[in-house]
Amino acid sequence: MSDFWWEVIDPIQSVLDGMMFGSIYALIGIGFTLIFGVMHKINLAYAAASIGGAYASLAAFQVLDAPAIVVFLCAAAASGVIGYLVYICCFRFIPTAMPLATLMSSVGMLILIDEVVVHATAGMPEPYPAMFDDVMIDLEPFWIRGDLLMIFALSVIAMGILLYILYRTRLGIATRAVAQQPSAAQLCGIGQQNTNAVTFIITGALGGLAGAMVGASVGILSPLLALPLTVKGLIVTVIGGLGSIPGAIVAGLLVGGFENVFQYFRGVTERDIYVMLLLFVFLTFRPQGLFGRISSRD
Amino acid sequence: MDFYYGMAQLIGVHTLLGLSAYVVLLTGQVSMAQAGFFAIGAYLGGMLTVLAGWHIVPAMLLAAAASAVVATIVGFPALRVKGLMLVVATLAFGEAVRIFWFNFDYQIAKGNIQVGPLGGEGFKQIRYFPENGWSTGEVAIFIWVWVVIVMAAIWWMDRSRVGSVLRAVGEDELAAQSVGINLTAVKVSAMTIGGFIAGLGGGIYAHYTTHIEHLNFGVILATFAIAYPILGGLSSVIGVLIAVIFIQGFLVEVLRFMGDWRNLLFGALIVLAMNVRPDGLFDARATRTIRRLFGRQDA
Repeated sequence: MSDFWWEVIDPIQSVLDGMMFGSIYALIGIGFTLIFGVMHKINLAYAAASIGGAYASLAAFQVLDAPAIVVFLCAAAASGVIGYLVYICCFRFIPTAMPLATLMSSVGMLILIDEVVVHATAGMPEPYPAMFDDVMIDLEPFWIRGDLLMIFALSVIAMGILLYILYRTRLGIATRAVAQQPSAAQLCGIGQQNTNAVTFIITGALGGLAGAMVGASVGILSPLLALPLTVKGLIVTVIGGLGSIPGAIVAGLLVGGFENVFQYFRGVTERDIYVMLLLFVFLTFRPQGLFGRISSRD
Repeated sequence: MDFYYGMAQLIGVHTLLGLSAYVVLLTGQVSMAQAGFFAIGAYLGGMLTVLAGWHIVPAMLLAAAASAVVATIVGFPALRVKGLMLVVATLAFGEAVRIFWFNFDYQIAKGNIQVGPLGGEGFKQIRYFPENGWSTGEVAIFIWVWVVIVMAAIWWMDRSRVGSVLRAVGEDELAAQSVGINLTAVKVSAMTIGGFIAGLGGGIYAHYTTHIEHLNFGVILATFAIAYPILGGLSSVIGVLIAVIFIQGFLVEVLRFMGDWRNLLFGALIVLAMNVRPDGLFDARATRTIRRLFGRQDA
């Protein structure tokens, strides 16, 4: 093989690793985008709720010593419950016409969830179980980390289930109806509040899985993970186009790969600057995002 | 007594930060970039007094002007988008500024020590006040003079034509546009004013803490910046001050005896406040009630 080939192997390897990790960003981005699609509101507590769910599932790991896959499912379930609580506390009773109030209440919830976690764990990072973390798949000349591959596979499965729910069930029809035209949906007998609540539970479960996979791939869980995950998830949402699920998926993989390759070239302290630059490039040249429609709605 | 002066300093600086977000919020824009402008003001102000040996007032004004210029430059692309997109764009900008200072080294020897910003270790030894023999009380007064000037300026602006234009854009962009208001000009001007005030606050902050680092200017500070006007209500500058006193004075200091539980209560109280008073603690109705009370006393 030529020298040039050896030069590019490592960057390509880091793009691949980053894209697999990026599937987590995609899940978080889908959550933001779905809630935005249905309510036209931004739920800033979402990533914190995901990490919170992962923490709750630690109980299953530490007390019951359950296998990793059960722990992941517990995280999804716990996060669904937290998602419902967030909806009740921050969105249910605040008038729809006040976007600032719900923005602020979800920030309050973000701080609250973070602090509950810090309080419960005394601020110490906790080890989190992973699957296949000792497996290395050798695809000459690349390596694929088993745990990252597992994360990628689980994300794909979760996205598949979500798309099935959205496009093949009555629940999904109701959700999409409310997203398109809330008052018309209500006239057809679809309860808006119920649909909103269900959306929060479903996205919560998705987020919980994402939180668990962050824990699994990093090896530890820390409350410090919530804010960076929020920022990355929001960036993914905007790059993918607001309200677009395929957009969030593509943007998640894009941001993941992009971030990892810049980490390879420029180091961990500088890599996020380039992600922000990517966002600004999109905002300047394609403000509606990859798959978003141009609309005046905000 | 020093404790109360310290509180007064903190509340003063955070009021400036809140006021900077207030001006931008009047036009209906949620800017999470205020912490970034605050950081620019802090670092530049500190560098001008420590490295260039300037007097603090011109240093602060120049640093604030630099923040305002950056705000204008950011304003043009960022304000093409609205709502959630703007929140994310400004959030990303603020984070980018923080990471920039995280990677920024510029040190010179002064006497036998190295001074200047040093990446992750931060910018130590911004000792303008102690070197010139200012007492804590004098610093507190200095800060509050600035706060009063800025508050009075915004109060006056709010009651003038400019304020009406800003509010018109915030209430209904389409209606504002149809009476001939140039939306971009108004939004970018508001952003510039906000950037200037945040830079001013940052300049003061750097000097009274004497040590700044990039972690001080993260998402949490940006959140606080917009929390003050939203929590206080957008009907008057007084709301910002009330919200700062409520958060920094009441939630942080008075509840200190609760230890760990204070932080838990902090988030919960914000959630509760927004549920009970979605228009802010000090909303338009409260303003009217107070006016009526004073009216009765006059009569």
